[in-house]
Amino acid sequence: MSEDTTLRMERIFAATPEQLFSAWTNADQLVRWWGPEGATTPKHDLDVREGGAWITTMRHEDGSENTVSGVYRLIDPPRRLVFTWAWHNDGPRGHESEVALDFEPVDGGTRMVLVQKTFQSAEMCDRHSMGWTSSFNDLARHVESLTGGTAA
Amino acid sequence: MIMQHDIPAPDLPALFGALADPHRLAIVEALAAEGEKTVGELCAPFEISAPAISRHLAVLESAGVIERRVDRQWRVCRIRPDALTAVEGWVETQRRFWNASLDRLERMLAEDAGTNATVAKSNNDKEKKR
Repeated sequence: MSEDTTLRMERIFAATPEQLFSAWTNADQLVRWWGPEGATTPKHDLDVREGGAWITTMRHEDGSENTVSGVYRLIDPPRRLVFTWAWHNDGPRGHESEVALDFEPVDGGTRMVLVQKTFQSAEMCDRHSMGWTSSFNDLARHVESLTGGTAA
Repeated sequence: MIMQHDIPAPDLPALFGALADPHRLAIVEALAAEGEKTVGELCAPFEISAPAISRHLAVLESAGVIERRVDRQWRVCRIRPDALTAVEGWVETQRRFWNASLDRLERMLAEDAGTNATVAKSNNDKEKKR
């Protein structure tokens, strides 16, 4: 069951950890690769600091849009990045999960390990329990201001 | 093109919410590993009270993770297979999203490396000319 609720992916990129970290945290770069082939990211806002909110809206080739958003939990360049993650389904944010990225230099580039848990790890909940509610409220307001109250 | 038709179903927050508790996850893991169990058997490994276990089972049941039936004097619990399918579907959707995105990330990094190499080369050429 635990394995079923956790996604783990690993890839080696021909780039330095710094370049990869920047591809995730620099909006100009993120929008160049975010989403499946043919998708663009016309709306985005990344407040890249621990507790800061991020939101992106992707537009697909058929004109449909998907919004996904979360909060940065841990920012440790260029080695580790952790953020929460939830799709917006017809308005309300859906189930919140946690994405952790680790960047490790290897021969020929950087190994990136992505682990997505369907719910936040106990470690992260403990670590951020104090700021959890307030950052969540911030995010809700943030999302509302970006979408004018109606999520894409 | 991959994402828009298979966004996770709206009941997933309830489903994952039900799983996001160590006791309930342990109950689900026990049921996943061993099939049906009576409420008494499920209580045995835990130090918490039977009413507490009962509340956890109620949460799991209302989220559609487990179902309960009465077999003579025993109340028997088992996992609902469609709950696991929904969880797997969610994970699979994420996997597709990341695979497609990371393919593009790979290409972006390759393009930038190419551009940087060209810039470095032209800088090199300038150096030589001087």
